[in-house]
Amino acid sequence: MASTPPGGHKTLQKRKFAQQARDRATKQRPTSSRQAGFGGSSAAVLKIATDDSSTSSLRVDPLVILFMSVGFIFSVIVLHVLAKMAAKSVE
Amino acid sequence: MAGFRLIDLAKPLQSILPEIELPYENIPFDDKLIYTFVSALVYILCQFPLASISKEHIDVKDPIFFLRNVFASETKTLMEFGLFPLISSSLILQLMAGLRLIDINFKIKSDRQLFQTLTKFLAIVQYIILANIFIFAGYYGSNLSPGQILNLNIQLIGSGIFTTLLCEIVDKGYGFVSGIMTINTVVIATTLVSDALAFNQIAISDSDDTITEAQGAIINLIQSLRASHRTLMGNIVSVFSRDYLPNLSSVLLCILVGVAVAYLHNIRIELPIRSTRARGMNNMYPVRLLNIGCLSILFSYVILFFIHIIAFVFIQLIAKNDPSHIICKIIGHYEVVNNYLYVPTFPLSLLTPPRSIQSMIFKQPLTIIVFPLFLATTGVWFASKWQAISGSSAKDIANDFKEQGITLTGRREQNIAKELEKTIPTASTTGAAVLALTTAVGEFLGLKGQAAGMVVGVCGAFAILEFVTLEYQQSGGQSMLAQVLGGAASAFQ
Amino acid sequence: MAKESSAMDKLSESPIEFIREGSQFLSKCKKPDVKEYTKIIRAVGIGFVAVGAIGYAIKLVHIPIRYLIV
Repeated sequence: MASTPPGGHKTLQKRKFAQQARDRATKQRPTSSRQAGFGGSSAAVLKIATDDSSTSSLRVDPLVILFMSVGFIFSVIVLHVLAKMAAKSVE
Repeated sequence: MAGFRLIDLAKPLQSILPEIELPYENIPFDDKLIYTFVSALVYILCQFPLASISKEHIDVKDPIFFLRNVFASETKTLMEFGLFPLISSSLILQLMAGLRLIDINFKIKSDRQLFQTLTKFLAIVQYIILANIFIFAGYYGSNLSPGQILNLNIQLIGSGIFTTLLCEIVDKGYGFVSGIMTINTVVIATTLVSDALAFNQIAISDSDDTITEAQGAIINLIQSLRASHRTLMGNIVSVFSRDYLPNLSSVLLCILVGVAVAYLHNIRIELPIRSTRARGMNNMYPVRLLNIGCLSILFSYVILFFIHIIAFVFIQLIAKNDPSHIICKIIGHYEVVNNYLYVPTFPLSLLTPPRSIQSMIFKQPLTIIVFPLFLATTGVWFASKWQAISGSSAKDIANDFKEQGITLTGRREQNIAKELEKTIPTASTTGAAVLALTTAVGEFLGLKGQAAGMVVGVCGAFAILEFVTLEYQQSGGQSMLAQVLGGAASAFQ
Repeated sequence: MAKESSAMDKLSESPIEFIREGSQFLSKCKKPDVKEYTKIIRAVGIGFVAVGAIGYAIKLVHIPIRYLIV
């Protein structure tokens, strides 16, 4: 028994059209950010970032990262030296 | 629909994960070159030995030695896992988004940002998981103190986060095209050059420090002509066959693989095009055989990596590499070779490239069939999907043509997409298959992953070079550095 | 239903079909001629060696540090 919603068949018709429009919209969704036109990986190139800048995230300058990573390597060197000194003091 | 979306997971992370800010204006060509190089060189500097590794004898050897070259990783250094987590998370997430397995609308800006954050987060999660698998499997020593475990975690995860950010610097427009691919190519080039031409001397016997050989194979060849610890004939044989340091035959084979890939990369179909706006503007539009480049090989190797890591967890962490354990009877166990490799036995050996031609024929004959088949099927499947979703499918190119007022000669405008649809998918899948076979043949010659590394490196170099030359021309050739460094770039025009 | 079964048929036949189509495609392709090819090889070779040499120079920095800490 099919129940007819208030408004009769017109409402049903409208709902059907709305559903179809939504389906079409999802089908036309771009499959990648490059297809949407905002950078990112292309056919032969793999990228982790797109051409977007977030508004809410913690933004840093590239030079800061470069210096920090060199600092990180130095801290590992220091760790090596400490380990060596600790080993010597045990002997 | 109030459904749960995977990318919403990234929402709380957005404010924690650092992100490189976009450049305010276009970066000049020279600065881009410098940023790219410095990022890659910092990465190479990161290939530095880990501290806090146990000094005692370690039983657990390297189970993924044949995958390291592809992902620019080096054993027992800060770059233990190299670029693998980055490559796997960006490849897999983008594939899932393209196949609509995760719900995301790339037209919405916030969705794209969430996606980007999720990719980075997933990469860092993989660094954390992999680090702890290796630590608890005893790869850095069997009885580590809690302090050592903490130290190793900080080093491995810290280097992972910095690698992610280094790649992002290049990706965001400070460098050329893609951080993953530029860094990978630079590291692979470095490996090749140091295998061939490194002049630093390394002591080759444990007891005696006076006998040294050069690390580079070509330098070693020159030195061996007047070395005294062997006969001349013995020297030359050793130059080509030594397995403790790079030997000349593997270096030559690597170069051969690179040359072959360069040939494959320049195979193309040329479609005649003409402008709809101006008369007499005829041109060729090339569709490359390798139009998805090395990504199919990267995808196959990502899957291989996952298989081998999961096997490593089962065999080493759970079964303790005990051949009588039920797990080892099902999926095989590891044998120590040369005191630094873990070589799996049957059936896991089916997906392991052999160490030499002899061991391939006598120990793992089935690998000859299974391994190329695996590379080809995964590669072709990936290629067929990726060419459609990556934004340069037949439909996208047809749209581009329309916008630029170009049409295929002798075709109606409506039929362009159909015509391209006949060419591009076939090119991608055939290219992936050919590349997979090239890689497999290279690996069977006993290159321990270097063949795949060369394939990825050379293909990556071509993909990048295309963009670099384009940008060089746009900058009007005003580059001091390019004149010094970029003989390649200018000669490629 | 009919669609699915035809897809299955295609899958079982596809390896041969795939190879046939692929080799047909390859024969249609334009291969680089010798002159073009040597030019490319030289360009990429020079680039590869130059980049690799710079990378190796950085690796040399490691050697004294390793010597210091081991």
